[in-house]
Amino acid sequence: MKLPLLPTTVIGSYSMPEWLERAKNDYLSRRLSRRDLDEMHDAVRKAAIKDQEMAGIDIVTDGELQRDNMIDYFTERLPGVQVDLGSKRFYYDFYESVVRSKLATGSLGLVEEVRFVKRFTERAQKISVSGPHTLVKRIRNQFYPTEEAFALDLGRSLNFELKELARAGATELQIDEPYYSGFPEDLPWAVKAINAAVEGVDANVTLHICYGNRYGKPSFEGSYRYLFPTILQAKVHALSLEFARRGEEDLELFREFNAPFTLGLGVIDVKTQEVEPPTLVADRIRRALEIVPVERLVINPDCGCVHLSRDVAFNKLAAMVEGTRIVRKDFGQS
Amino acid sequence: MIVHINHISQTKKKTGKPSQLGELASLVTGSLVNFVEDGVLDASLAPSLRIHLDWIQYRTNFRDPVCVRRTTDPQGRPMALAEIAIDLRQADPAQLVLQLGRALQSVGPTSATDDGRVYLDDFRPYRDCMIWDFNRLFWQHLGEWEAASGRGFEAALPSGKSDANHPEAVADSITEFWELLKKLEDRGQLPGEIPALEIGVGSGARAAAWMDGFKALDEQKGTGYYAKLQFILGDYSATTLERAVTALARHAGHVSAAPLNALNPFKALSAYRFKVMYVHATNVYDNLPFDDLVRRDGRLYLVEVRAYLSSVAVDRLSADFGLPRNDFPTVVKRLLEEGPGGIFPGERGVAFWRCLWDYFRLEERLRALDDREESHVPPGLSWSHLEDLLTEAPEDVRFHISRGAAESFANTLPLLHPRGYLQVQDIFVEHMDEYRKGFKGPGKLDGSLVAWVNGALLRAVGARAGYDVHFAPFPYRPGTKTTVMYTTQRP
Repeated sequence: MKLPLLPTTVIGSYSMPEWLERAKNDYLSRRLSRRDLDEMHDAVRKAAIKDQEMAGIDIVTDGELQRDNMIDYFTERLPGVQVDLGSKRFYYDFYESVVRSKLATGSLGLVEEVRFVKRFTERAQKISVSGPHTLVKRIRNQFYPTEEAFALDLGRSLNFELKELARAGATELQIDEPYYSGFPEDLPWAVKAINAAVEGVDANVTLHICYGNRYGKPSFEGSYRYLFPTILQAKVHALSLEFARRGEEDLELFREFNAPFTLGLGVIDVKTQEVEPPTLVADRIRRALEIVPVERLVINPDCGCVHLSRDVAFNKLAAMVEGTRIVRKDFGQS
Repeated sequence: MIVHINHISQTKKKTGKPSQLGELASLVTGSLVNFVEDGVLDASLAPSLRIHLDWIQYRTNFRDPVCVRRTTDPQGRPMALAEIAIDLRQADPAQLVLQLGRALQSVGPTSATDDGRVYLDDFRPYRDCMIWDFNRLFWQHLGEWEAASGRGFEAALPSGKSDANHPEAVADSITEFWELLKKLEDRGQLPGEIPALEIGVGSGARAAAWMDGFKALDEQKGTGYYAKLQFILGDYSATTLERAVTALARHAGHVSAAPLNALNPFKALSAYRFKVMYVHATNVYDNLPFDDLVRRDGRLYLVEVRAYLSSVAVDRLSADFGLPRNDFPTVVKRLLEEGPGGIFPGERGVAFWRCLWDYFRLEERLRALDDREESHVPPGLSWSHLEDLLTEAPEDVRFHISRGAAESFANTLPLLHPRGYLQVQDIFVEHMDEYRKGFKGPGKLDGSLVAWVNGALLRAVGARAGYDVHFAPFPYRPGTKTTVMYTTQRP
């Protein structure tokens, strides 16, 4: 599928309705059946796709609203990870999970997401997975000698899934690693784990690195300088980074290290309900264009929209698209 | 009829003899039976009558020793449930039976009390009632009140002084903060600027002690954090801020004053979003608007109050200040708009204000909440979250919705740096069942007021915003009711 210049996309999640949060909690308290919850999930996923289309997003996701959070959705599926399903009452909390033996190789079942999103949109689609480093930080390790060993095996396990996704027709894949920014010292082995995950995967892979978005607030602070030069060893096509909230200072790192990646430029601050004007979005893109060539720039929010109210999320995405169109005109495109 | 004994704590040594409190309680229950037998109380009303035996911690408060609470439906039409609340601390044994009899005669839904009281306002939820105008008046005219009373406002606290300035507490706070900065530095994550914020600065004594101590510790350790420190003094009173800035003059260059509304610190300080490393407040939350909710027989009621002066109070104020009886509602309105000088010049105006506040009372009624009503739900939470809180609560309970504290808290958290934390010293109700074990306010403190803060509610607000909220006893002064609330990031 041919994408326009400066393609727009989302990081993954779309606005979580409060009623769905309630339903998820009710499911955990056995007041709602799995079947009813799944029907709700399907309905909001369709609505999320439709909202993204209406906002003008070029590469859409299913909104990921069936995922409780970026950890549990995977720990529940990873063969060999034991999850205490009674360990949370609030859906957004994390389950207690532990690995006590070597991870088995098996499907995580994400192919269903590819099929679902393909059924309901003709736009390009993206599927995201949580990265090995992030999962290592949330799953208690009682088997592997080191975090690195655990992460590398998780990379192997995710590799199986990413290949499955590509085989099912996914052309855009994303790996989310928000914990890098809290543990910069892990980066050398974390990048090895990413490379294990993407080895032989026939799709465009974006590595999304932010400063966290739990509860709509950052988990860490600092500068992306810690990523360089180690990140240059990552065998991914694109890096998607957070700039709208933090300012564009770190864009210079792309120039300084001659980074070969496509840049997923965060132009929407997802930690405020204030909607950016399209002209501000355009300004941010133009500043990035001073450093990154236009053919290597993708436009996206800083992170997922899960903590934004639905109207705010929609208006932010629409503003992002409008701001992008303003810049496209600079290149003779609409 | 249900009798609630709401005061459950040991207040005397074991002597084997009944206490005055016990004797008063016996008098109430014995009299109630007599009243039913004598037909003073309509037997048809008795099943829906609740009697509450309280012991009000605050010697000055907003209640008469015996008061009646009627109930209405959401539209204000009378309902059967009624309550009589008796403050065993204030009650005069010689008057109690008489007062109880009068109260019982007035509990019917259509009965009206006409004891000559002068109403100053209509029924309103606590959050909107006149006490907040008096509270504002006090902080605006604090100097005049203190001059008239001959003591500073901190002396009006039950302990006679503020726990905010306790030297050991301040020293521990400094050490804890320094250790946090050291950890960040060790990980290469120390920000270039280190903002700290105090909300409600009082005289500036605590901030000054904290800055002195921090500077000394930083110099001793040779860490250079003081040079990066920016201490923000936040208060809504310009006078208070000026006083505090003066107290911190020796730290000029590291101190800034921010006029802010305690309900929304973020509005004034949005430039510090996710940057503030340390937020502190003492006795701020207990002085912010709240609502009271009551659950009886599975139904939720909002407490509404109407300000009044008793007939005796009006007579005395009329005699002492030469004001006509019928003018009081207008005079009080003028006092709140123009200050004491708008009523009488100089000390006489303050004297009138002080006497009026002393006599000032609130009549309560319980209005049943419509299922769809949400006005009592505090910022930061939704109706469904309040429902969760209610599942933690006893079936039969009266409790605060500390909406001002919740709003302030919710609007402070976005200022916090990911490794920053908030510490609040105040009086908290940590668990909902504690509301059945004693009176939690409001009480009067000089010209202002105080109400315990619903910590369980703040815990719910914090959880929604990604913070776990913890409570620890204030360990520096034995017997204190102060608790330290602090936040940690939820994983």
